[in-house]
Parts: sequence; structure tokens; C-alpha cells
Amino acid sequence: MALVLPVLVCLASGLLLVCLGWSRTGPLPSDLLLRASLTVGYGLGVFSVIYFLSRVCNVTHLMLVDLLVLALLSAAAVLAWARGQSANAVAMRTSGADQGPAWFQRVLLAAFVIALCSAIYSAVLRMRAYPYGDGWDAFAIWNLHARFLFLGGPHWRDGFTPLIPWSHPDYPLLLPASIAHFWTYLGRDDPRVPASISFFFTFATVGVLFSALSILRGRAQAMLGAITLLATPTFIEQGAWQYADVPLSFFYLATAVLLCLHDEKTLQASSKPPAGGLLALAGVAAGFAAWTKNEGVLFLGAILLARQWISLREARRQAPQGALHGAKIAFARHSGLLLAGSAPVFLLIIYFKHRVAPPGDLFSDPSSMLHRALQLARDWAIIRWYVRGFFRFGGWLLVPGSLLLVGLYFVAGREDHRAAHPGFRTSVLALALTLVGYFAIYLITPYDIYWHLRFSLSRLFLQLWPSTVFLFFLAVRGLPGDSRSEV
Amino acid sequence: MKPSRVSIAFLIFILGCMLSTARIVWDAPRPNSPPDSAQGVGRRSDQRFAALKTSLPERGVVGYLGEPGAAGLGDYYLAQYALAPVVVDYSPNHPLVVGNFPRSPAVSPALGPPSENLRLVKDFGDGVLLLANEGAN
Repeated sequence: MALVLPVLVCLASGLLLVCLGWSRTGPLPSDLLLRASLTVGYGLGVFSVIYFLSRVCNVTHLMLVDLLVLALLSAAAVLAWARGQSANAVAMRTSGADQGPAWFQRVLLAAFVIALCSAIYSAVLRMRAYPYGDGWDAFAIWNLHARFLFLGGPHWRDGFTPLIPWSHPDYPLLLPASIAHFWTYLGRDDPRVPASISFFFTFATVGVLFSALSILRGRAQAMLGAITLLATPTFIEQGAWQYADVPLSFFYLATAVLLCLHDEKTLQASSKPPAGGLLALAGVAAGFAAWTKNEGVLFLGAILLARQWISLREARRQAPQGALHGAKIAFARHSGLLLAGSAPVFLLIIYFKHRVAPPGDLFSDPSSMLHRALQLARDWAIIRWYVRGFFRFGGWLLVPGSLLLVGLYFVAGREDHRAAHPGFRTSVLALALTLVGYFAIYLITPYDIYWHLRFSLSRLFLQLWPSTVFLFFLAVRGLPGDSRSEV
Repeated sequence: MKPSRVSIAFLIFILGCMLSTARIVWDAPRPNSPPDSAQGVGRRSDQRFAALKTSLPERGVVGYLGEPGAAGLGDYYLAQYALAPVVVDYSPNHPLVVGNFPRSPAVSPALGPPSENLRLVKDFGDGVLLLANEGAN
């Protein structure tokens, strides 16, 4: 019962933040599911920021701060509503052309229900068997940081000491601070809190994927995407491990989804472009990704760069003769909104890195990094592991999920107009840049490269997997249907 | 109606997913296994160090002495998790040193301290010791 109030405050904060950027009205169930799923991640993000700032400012009345933030968010949401951000209220349409024949829809529904029930069954049993998480990182990094934040009192910074470098004290705090926030309400460090947070992140990721595809492509593609994610053994296992990779994948996915939704609305309402709330929300999601794990900083840079690049290309393509300057300004405004959304959390990360955390372990002196980067044997080793990881990733039984996707793509083909959307192209480019960034980090790592690849590559692939599945089913052609339906 | 090539591709895709779904169910822990039985992190950390924790200062840094090898490293992580917010440094060069010998609890005091300055303050049983390093600053 002690958790009812903080859970409600957390969800209300997340919902208000989502509503600030997305003031759509209408009872479309997928829309509600998307909001609800986003609310989980955004709420936990807000909770972690509040907790960290309270620790920094030595504020002891956490509930007062929570209520203050809630009041501020409510006021902002009311203001936004009163100003009528109606441009975001474009009705989303689902294409009914690729829902498949009736028999296929029945097969799909049955498979979806089986996959969902199996995943929930497995996740619950894993939570019970591994209440402290499965694997060392849960208690040696994430929950340990949460303990230092919660139990450290005014000396919480003791936990971010170079004396325990193996605990990676430079890792960002979204997960530890949100856990510590709930523990503070509870009055004890109950292991069920991190376990529950991991569980909700896992299934909120599925919720975002399903509902976004449902809005953009219809129920059949949504179920196919959700089945793919739910049937990925590594995703379900690591969801229960209490590591930060699944939460990170949630924020990568949320960023891609919100970008694609914004651009879909732009296309639908060409006479009156939508307000930039969705872009700002995408920026917030990218900021939260950077606040979850260091890899998220790489993704944040990648998404900003990709958006700017694609925007400029779009401006050149769309603008009539002589109007290029105006088009560039309009697209620059959109990139600016993405940046503005991520800026507050990014400033927080800069503060954390400079004032709290010791230097990270991956970056040594420039000459050593350059020396390692120029060793071709390292490039070759990473390429081999990347290729191997492509086939082995996910722990699939018999047929790798990546091969299933490739096979489906070659048989079904893709919808060219979808693949041409700026949001789609931005997301694909950002994921590719992130993957290249991971490659560069492996090149310069001071650790034994094989050890590093062995213990991290599958988790890096996992971070990108939900977004990859989303973008795949957004673009791949569906099964031709025998009826048209439109929501 | 004869299913098309695309329909068959989608069905094969779904079948592939269902195979892995079966693996997810198969690999799940058994429902009748007791909670936290898989790794026993709670038993090996919080429960094992509960008595020692009351003897340590509320904050600060203590040293650590444990068994060698990868398993010993895991024990050290579990000790740090249990003793937070006290920082446990993997070194005996501190006035207070935690001794952790879960696999040789009966012989740990007889192992002989690696430094002449180490003195046993209290044996909490189960291989958990509190040592004092009189030579440390």
C-alpha cells in the first residue's frame, strides 16, 4: 500500500509530460495504449531526475518536491491545452489494405496471445527466482548505486568513488535514482522495486511497439512486430535481469516512434503542419536514453545529427525555387525542438559527469586510443563478432530472428513511400550511426577486446532491437487483405 | 483458396517466432522452486553480512580480504552490495578490514593474515570476519 501514492505520482508525472507534447484528443485504443506505455518510461525518467536533484540540493521532503513538480506539470499541461495545440490533434488513420485475409488475422491473433502470455509467464517466474536480478551487473552496478543514493543520506556521493571502479560510478542514474525514489517512500530497499521497474520497462517497450505500429500500419503489422519482440528470448530474459539495456531500448524506440508519428502527422496535415510537441517529446526520450546508459549519449548525438542531415536534404528536395532559405528555417526549427527536448536532461548529465562521477574507464590518453584504433586486427575482430552476433543474437530457437526478418523482407518487399518518410530515414540513420559508434568504442577499449565483445555485444544489439523491429514492420509490405477497414 | 508465396512466408515467420516462444517457456524457472533459490543473492549478501554491518561505521571506507579467483570476486561484489553505503575497497590497507571466506569458513582464521598488522576483531561465523589493520592510516 505504501507504494500506491508514489506509483500514482510517477505515472501522473509521466502522463502530464506526454500530454504536454501530445495533446491529441480521441478514443483510438492504440493511441491510449501508446500514451500509457510512454507514460511508464517518462514517469520513471521524471522520478529519477527529481530524486537526483533532491539529493544534490539536500532536500529531505521528497513528497513535497514530487507534488510541486506535479503541480507545475499540471499547470503547463492546462496552459498548453488552453492555447489549443490542436495541430497535434490530427486523426491517425490506419491502413486497412495490408491486414491480411480473415484466416491470417485469426492465426496472427492466436500467435500474439500465445507469445504475450508466454512472455509474461516467463518474466514473472524469473522475477520470483531472481529477485535481485540475474547476473552481476544488477547488484554490482545498478542496484548498488540505488543503495548508495538511498542509504547514503547526505554522503550519497561516497558511492561514486574511484575506489570501486568495477561498479562503473560514471554510469548515469535514471534506473538507480528512480529505484531509490520508490525506496524512499517505502522506507526500505525492497528488491521487488527494481524487479517491478524492469518488468514494466519490458512490457511498456512491447506496448510502445505494438501501439505505434497499430497507429501507423494497422493491427496486423502491430501484432507481427509485437510477436517478434515477445519471441526474442534474450529480450524477455534481460528484462528480468534488472540491467539497463531494456530501459535504454525503450527510450531508443520511443524516440523513433515519436519522430515517425510527427512526420506522419506532417504528411496528413500538409496545409497546417503539426506543432512540434512530438519532436520535443522525442528529444526528451533521447535525453532520458542518455540518462540511462552512456551508450544513450552516443544515440542522442546520432539522432540530432541524423535529423539535421535528413532535414536539410528534405528542405532541398521540397522547397520550390527561391524558397530554400525558408524551408531550411522550418526544418532547423524542427531540429531545434528535438534539441530543446533533450537539453534539460543533457545538462543534468553534464553536471553528473563533472561534479559527481569519476572519469569513465573506456577513454584513456589519446595516443593509446589512437594506437589501438589503428590496429587492423581489432577492426577485423569486431567485424567478425558483429557478423556472428547478427546470426546468433536473441537466443532464438533454430532460426535466428534476424534471418527471419531478412527472409520476410525479400519475399514481401517494402512500401517505398514509408521508407521515404523523413522520420523513418532519420531513425534508420541514427541507429546505423549508433552501431558505428559502438564499433568505434570497441576499437579504443582498454580492455581485452574479445572479453569486451563477449560480455557486451549481445546487449548492445538488444538495445537497438525493438527500434529495428519497429522500423522493419513500418516499412515492410503487409499481407494483402480481402477487405478494407479504416479507423 | 491457395495461399500465396507471401502468405506462406508470413506463416513461416510466425512459426519461427512460436519456436522461440516455446524456448522462453521451457527456459523459465520452475513455478515450484522457492523464491531467490536460483542464485541466493539475498542469502549470500544481506543475510550473511547483517551482523557485521551493525559493527561497522555508518559511512566511510573499509578494506577487504577474501578468497582468490572469479568466485572470490563475486563474493566481494556481494559484500559491497550488502554493506553499502560503506565503501568496501579491495585492499587490506584500511584500519578496518572485512574478511570474507564463504568457502572456507572453518579455516579462515587459521589461514594466517597476509600482514602482521592484521588482528581479528570479531568472527561473525560463516566465514565473515572483522579485522583491524593496526599499520593502516
